[in-house]
Amino acid sequence: MFFNVNIQSQSSFGLNGHPGNTSQFNSFFYNYEGNISNFSKLRDWGFSAIYGLEFAKSTNSNLYSISVSKTLDNHNLSARFTPGYQKEFLFKTGETIILEDSTSQSLTSDFTYKELFGLGYSYKFSENFSTGFSFRYFNQEFNREAVTAVFNDNPYLVSDNLSEKINFWRGDVGINYFLNERLNFSLASMNLLNFGEKAKDSEFEQYELKKDIGVVFGFGLVPIKRTAINFVYETTNSFQFSANCYLENFTFGFTLFHDKYQSPTIAGLVPSVGYKSELFEVLVSGIKYFSNRNIEHGVSGFVENGLSNIINNPYSYDRLLLTVSFNLNTIPEKSVEFLDVKIDKDIYPTFTENYLDYPFAYGTIVNLTDKYVNVKPLAKIEGINEESIQSPASSIAPHDTAEVPFYIIIPEKYHSDKTALSYADFYLVTENEQPDDQFQKAILVNSSNSWDGRVSDLYYFIKKDIDFSMTNSKKILNENKAILDTLPAVLENFYKAKILFNKFIKNLVYTSDPRATGEYVQFPHETFELKGGDCDDLSVFYSSLLESVGIQTALVDYKSDGTVRHVNLLFNTGLSPGQAKLITKNDTKYFVRESLEGKDEIWLPVETTSLTDFETAWKIGSEKFNKEAVNDFGIAKGKVEIIDVY
Amino acid sequence: MKKIFVFIFITGIISAQTFTVENVTGEASYQKGGEESWKQLQKGTVVENDVTIVTGKKSEVKLSDKNTKFALGESSAVSVSSIKKMSIDDLLLALAMEDMIHAPEKLNKSSDNTAVYGTKEGEVNSPLLKPDDFGLKRLNGAKQLAENGMEESAVVAERETYRKYPDTKKLASYRIYFTDILYKKGLYEEALKEYYEIGKLELSKEEKDKVDAKIESVKMKLVSE
Repeated sequence: MFFNVNIQSQSSFGLNGHPGNTSQFNSFFYNYEGNISNFSKLRDWGFSAIYGLEFAKSTNSNLYSISVSKTLDNHNLSARFTPGYQKEFLFKTGETIILEDSTSQSLTSDFTYKELFGLGYSYKFSENFSTGFSFRYFNQEFNREAVTAVFNDNPYLVSDNLSEKINFWRGDVGINYFLNERLNFSLASMNLLNFGEKAKDSEFEQYELKKDIGVVFGFGLVPIKRTAINFVYETTNSFQFSANCYLENFTFGFTLFHDKYQSPTIAGLVPSVGYKSELFEVLVSGIKYFSNRNIEHGVSGFVENGLSNIINNPYSYDRLLLTVSFNLNTIPEKSVEFLDVKIDKDIYPTFTENYLDYPFAYGTIVNLTDKYVNVKPLAKIEGINEESIQSPASSIAPHDTAEVPFYIIIPEKYHSDKTALSYADFYLVTENEQPDDQFQKAILVNSSNSWDGRVSDLYYFIKKDIDFSMTNSKKILNENKAILDTLPAVLENFYKAKILFNKFIKNLVYTSDPRATGEYVQFPHETFELKGGDCDDLSVFYSSLLESVGIQTALVDYKSDGTVRHVNLLFNTGLSPGQAKLITKNDTKYFVRESLEGKDEIWLPVETTSLTDFETAWKIGSEKFNKEAVNDFGIAKGKVEIIDVY
Repeated sequence: MKKIFVFIFITGIISAQTFTVENVTGEASYQKGGEESWKQLQKGTVVENDVTIVTGKKSEVKLSDKNTKFALGESSAVSVSSIKKMSIDDLLLALAMEDMIHAPEKLNKSSDNTAVYGTKEGEVNSPLLKPDDFGLKRLNGAKQLAENGMEESAVVAERETYRKYPDTKKLASYRIYFTDILYKKGLYEEALKEYYEIGKLELSKEEKDKVDAKIESVKMKLVSE
């Protein structure tokens, strides 16, 4: 939707009538005067010409206009050469001279008004709002025959010709707003800027084109699909009403207009009918005035009312017009476009794999064609992605609306200390290299330490630092190699977990989140360096240490601790139930879980915030698990949840 | 075989609570919470929910609170938290929960972890249960819960025992006993599944006939429902 700002400074009257906002035809948009909505669907180059017949006393034909338009992104430039936009008036001055042969000759005045060319520019701010301006160049030529007395020894009269050419520019601005697909509004100036030459001869001053400043207000309505009605009102007390209908490649409609300088009240009718192909359009229109135009007019009326419009005035004749337009688009018409994009979730940069599995946004798109269209959705988040990420393609039925998911990839190396508002760019690509449509929306990108409060998502913090944890775990286990080597292999996991706990977790300090708002989780290396953290941090750290040496862990989410949520850990000893007696005499301190291979294994609960030795942490962890998860039916009631890390 | 004597007097619904040891005969000890050590149980000792009580041969412990009297017979073990009356819904909830703990959830996450969990090395095999096996004592404790009206708690205790002491699952008489409870409570699908499992064990002719009869009976019940 581009804005061809070409505001007719005299009135909004157009040779092709008035298009509706559902118009599939571009021909209307070259007809500047009729295009008060300033709307063009051209994506690249467009050319148009209007040729017409004027039914005066002697019918004559004329090339009315040649136009060119070019669209670049959100900019639209247009130019129009209008050789047929002219009107010539011939008056008798009332003076007569007697020639030497005794014949008489009436003296005449000849006034010609021309609009020579125009230039326009518009800019689309959004799909709903656009604005722009236009400048048009006019020429007025006044000639009057007169008789001048020459006084000498033998006085005599000679005929003389007074003439003057006046060139000037007119400039106007306009805006256009689409409330929705069914209703639009437009507002434009009339004769806002006038600069150039003025009549030097006071006699011609009264015949200059009127330049009353005014405003044109219009609205368009689509009452039912493929129809449109428009109403335009000028503050100079003229108005138009139009109705149009569009059926596949055909259009037809009419415009009725009232002009305060013409009679009757509805001065005339502009019917139009057109056909469109992908390359060209043909539009036939006409102007039928409801008053008799083949009469002679007195000069007094012309002097009294002047002339406000070159192509539509009390002296205009009925016309038949043929408009041919070519759409030489090197950029194909878009097949699909966005209706809206909804961000489904904020970005938590550490949850890398989550965004591969679940869309972060959904776009509502519409197929503008009468064919099935295969759409590739792409997205890019500023500051995170250098290139667009393609989501799975979708096939959209003709003229159907569909919802397409957008996925994103967050690079492993990405890190941000601060939460910030960024922008996500969304693209729809069909068979062309260039996107058919694009959409931008603000999105919150949290810091890398941000957490959404879902215990299952702590997995990402565990995984992200697994290399750090592996290095440190192996170092400590190597230092204890002599002890581990003396143990039965079945006890390896148990003692590794015990050694790692007593080395790393036991000596930490419990500290609350450093941020006043939002959840904050430290990566294992940060907990190690800061020598402390809260339950999330400590559980993540211990889980990461165990997982890095092949010990399976599960996070236990205690949701029932009032307003304070708590997280601790279960780990898999790998022992069978029959081997439990190797590590404890208390059968309430362990739990049996079945492995994916169908083997029963002993899991131990550990309270990481106890910050004591392993045995105590195990004892506290098992007591809490027994009470809240088992005896109080916490797991069955959903108040306690076991979330396996892998 | 010695009879297990259980005395229970229930007035109203019993919920888990603190009990006082009224009397101890023979050898009895208790273990609190996550502690490793066992302490000798004495008359007057107050035991809370997190306590496990165990008795030796020819031993008995009598417990009471303001509404309940409970006696734990010889060679038995019970968690104080199990001495409570549960509804059928609570039982189903507990059984479902047991499954939730037992089976790890498989997350839809990729893993590059190639570790193999567990090893058969050092496996402790105990095909023959001795009378002082703790799992057997747990089953005895569960049976006593059932015999004294806390049948739902008994089934929960039985299932937990089977998890932690898999060898006890081979004791057909106990399994038939607890499965009959499910049958009696109208939990036919659960009972049928268990009867089929029992049928795979080495059974006496009497036991086999009984199990087969129960299976047919449960099937009829399920068809008529």
